[in-house]
Amino acid sequence: MYNSPVLFDKSVTIVNQFTVRNGRRKFVIIADQSGYEKAEIFTSEAAGTVPVEFLAIRGVEDGERIKRFLLSQTMGTQFYISAAWGNAVMVFKLGVEAGLSEDEIQVVIIGPKRRYVYCMKCFEVTGVAEKAESTECGHCKASLEIGPFYSIVREGYIGYPFIPAGKEEVVGS
Amino acid sequence: MFTQRLDFKTTDLDTFPFPFTSGNYRYSNDLKRLSNINCIEVTPEYRLQVEAKRRLLQEQPHIRFQSFPHTLEMQWEVFEMLIDMAIDRYPQHFEVLKDGDNWTFRNHIFGESDSFVFGDASTLPNEPLDYIGRHFHNDFVLMVHRDSNFYLEVGQVSYAALFSANWNKGMSFDEIHAPVPFVSRKGDELAERVRKFLLSIEPGKPWTRINWNLMADRWDVNYETMDVWEPKRSEITPESAGKLVRLRVEEQKFYRLPRSNAILFVLNTQFLPLEDLALRQEWFDLTYSVLQDIPEPMAKYKGIAPFLPQSVEYLRRIDEERKSELRK
Repeated sequence: MYNSPVLFDKSVTIVNQFTVRNGRRKFVIIADQSGYEKAEIFTSEAAGTVPVEFLAIRGVEDGERIKRFLLSQTMGTQFYISAAWGNAVMVFKLGVEAGLSEDEIQVVIIGPKRRYVYCMKCFEVTGVAEKAESTECGHCKASLEIGPFYSIVREGYIGYPFIPAGKEEVVGS
Repeated sequence: MFTQRLDFKTTDLDTFPFPFTSGNYRYSNDLKRLSNINCIEVTPEYRLQVEAKRRLLQEQPHIRFQSFPHTLEMQWEVFEMLIDMAIDRYPQHFEVLKDGDNWTFRNHIFGESDSFVFGDASTLPNEPLDYIGRHFHNDFVLMVHRDSNFYLEVGQVSYAALFSANWNKGMSFDEIHAPVPFVSRKGDELAERVRKFLLSIEPGKPWTRINWNLMADRWDVNYETMDVWEPKRSEITPESAGKLVRLRVEEQKFYRLPRSNAILFVLNTQFLPLEDLALRQEWFDLTYSVLQDIPEPMAKYKGIAPFLPQSVEYLRRIDEERKSELRK
């Protein structure tokens, strides 16, 4: 969908620790190898509340199997994703495609998160470090100041073009 | 390449939507019922403005027009509404011939005639709103009502003031106004109040408000060209401000569409150079007073901080000159 939620570094679904969602009928925990420990801790915490099912992510090529698994779940299920960035993004996307809302998903990211900047010159996105304040567009090489606003349509933070000090040039109007 | 040289100004002051009613300005929910619900206006600058708008749309199509594919039906709704308004108000300038769904639209000002099948976008050179919008000088933004919010799903924007149809596509009203240090006279969140107000707008009862800004020697300022215009703002001097700085007024009109339930924003943007304010002393006095009193966060938000002091200094000098003339 054109306005579907996407996973980005400030997504409301990203948490430091999973929490038990009351009122759900089942918990599904999906983890890759790096997220297994967090998943195991939460599985113990959730024991005795509602049925818990676990699914291992074997890699990004595992999409079809995960998709089938997500589609087979019933309403009232809460999903917990514990994984490195790339795997978490893949599972999140599949979950949204399967009809899940952000309210039904919690994500713990293991390791660094990725941020993307949308270049207002060439309209492409470039990956940047988590704390970066400016960057160079990976496509058109424009200097970009990274703004605080995120677009789920463009899947990136706004990148305001600027001319670095000492590098004045005519860019166009 | 479009030069961005601002080669027009409002010449008929009676049609200029002067924004100030008191000597100090703060954001407020100043929406009013629109007395003349027809938003089509042919001003003395019509041809200049429309030609410039078409040039921008031709040169920067992705920046100036954006839409989602599922919006075609509501675009046709706007299309019909604008044509009806145009021929109702200006039958000498616009004409439509209808034979079932086979329509011919004529713009006599430009000597243009286009035949198409109403409801079939493939018979038009552009999407319906993009096509019909090129016959009027206004900007058009279609906000779709969903989950107690509005989402920008179609935008034709040729007079941007820190806005971009390309960037803002798909955003909610709240997201679009997220950067606003929007506290009104009463100290509450203005964007939230305006959104709630827009929810209550009914079909056939449009509302209006006036927004203003200053523009430093530019047609518009969008994010895509920030590297070009941002450094140039501070080059304005008190000597050049009279000609180069323009009071930019955006008359916003809000229409609830009866079929799609979307809200159409129609924006009429007009410019008056600071030097022309003296043509109406009351406008000069109010503008001078307002600009002296702009809080810094507001000046920064509006993007006028780098040339506001020079603009105020220009007005101060003119004011001094006038007062010494009177003393003679």
